[in-house]
Amino acid sequence: MGPEDTITRRRALLAGGGTVAFGGTVAFFASRSGSDAQAYVPDTVRPSEETTGFGVDLAGRPIAGESDAAVDIYYWTDYLCPFCKKFETETLPKIGRDYVDPGKARLLTMSYPNIGEYSTPAAVWSRCVWDHVVDTEPAAFWRWHGAAFAAQSESGQEWANDETFTSITERTKRVSAVDVDACRQDRGDTVRASIDTDVAMAQSARIQGTPGFVLYNRESDAAGQIVGAQPYDNFADALDRVSEA
Amino acid sequence: MTETNSSAPRTWLRDLRGALVYPLTSNGRLLTTGVATGLTYVVLVLSAFPQFSVQVLTRDPADLAYALPALTREVYLGSGWLGISLVVAYALLTGIAVTNTVALVRHARRAGASTLAGIVPGLLAAGCASCGAGVLGALGFVGAMAALPFEGNLLRIGGIALLATVLGRAGDPRTCSIDPP
Repeated sequence: MGPEDTITRRRALLAGGGTVAFGGTVAFFASRSGSDAQAYVPDTVRPSEETTGFGVDLAGRPIAGESDAAVDIYYWTDYLCPFCKKFETETLPKIGRDYVDPGKARLLTMSYPNIGEYSTPAAVWSRCVWDHVVDTEPAAFWRWHGAAFAAQSESGQEWANDETFTSITERTKRVSAVDVDACRQDRGDTVRASIDTDVAMAQSARIQGTPGFVLYNRESDAAGQIVGAQPYDNFADALDRVSEA
Repeated sequence: MTETNSSAPRTWLRDLRGALVYPLTSNGRLLTTGVATGLTYVVLVLSAFPQFSVQVLTRDPADLAYALPALTREVYLGSGWLGISLVVAYALLTGIAVTNTVALVRHARRAGASTLAGIVPGLLAAGCASCGAGVLGALGFVGAMAALPFEGNLLRIGGIALLATVLGRAGDPRTCSIDPP
């Protein structure tokens, strides 16, 4: 063992400092909360009951945007998914402003409950809210949708329960908590079957996590897939490419 | 000298300490440990959502600066401070294990093939411990870590225990251990 093979104070301090710096950097990024931007509420909502060229039956599924938009954005989400919240607050408002509101793309919300026990009940709440407001004021759904993601807690999944979702529903203007609850009780099985169809669609599209997206050119039948809360530029590039395909 | 069963844990702890401080014995080993720790952390965090990581990095490798903080936050939100601390500990132990393994392999190559064969099971155990958390995501199980007991923390603790066992068994790579009869 040569003299260079000894533990020096300098190296010990360097290792200790490096470990503290490493842990501190990780803690910084872990605790850094995302944007507090306002939830996206589309300018136009045109409900539809058609079955799209991609094979999605739009009946009962929340939509945003014009019905003649060139590109469909199929968006699989879970109200308990933190990555979906990141997309909702940081990227969706920009996509809405640049693609959905100008009529270039139509956003179709699909359910992919996968995070926790309350993921499926939360998806049922969502469908029942849409069902309740679709003919009167569909924009109310998007206010409810934004409030549901805003309710996500930083620690655990205990926040997701009947009490929280009842409170969100009661606080959303033009949404009747009584009617939505009646839908949950009376039509729960039908809604859950529809959610199972969404999950099967996601799996056939090889979506392996939420948020997951398929971008579909309705005229040319071209499609692309994006997974996760990617930067806005990635979505913009993909939307431009699919719309030109 | 013979060792009794009661002294075995003490011997293991002594050897573990020897293994943990081995990277401090040269600047090169310390650098190797730091680089291996950093790379392991990157791989562990990116494997929390492999499909996302592949898409983002394929489009622009510079987006690692976006993906890494985003997924660090996701791991924290999914499994709490315990989860992210275990990932950091995991990366540190793997960094040390890599440095010590390089030394062991060099030593084994000098000593002969039979010694090299003797350390292979340990290397495999350490390798499996390191990849465990990521494999579930790579196989396409959506929400796999969230569905595991304690949000996957049990798997991480198991991996750390396996790494510590391997390090404690091997001890300081510069010393030759003689098993008691």
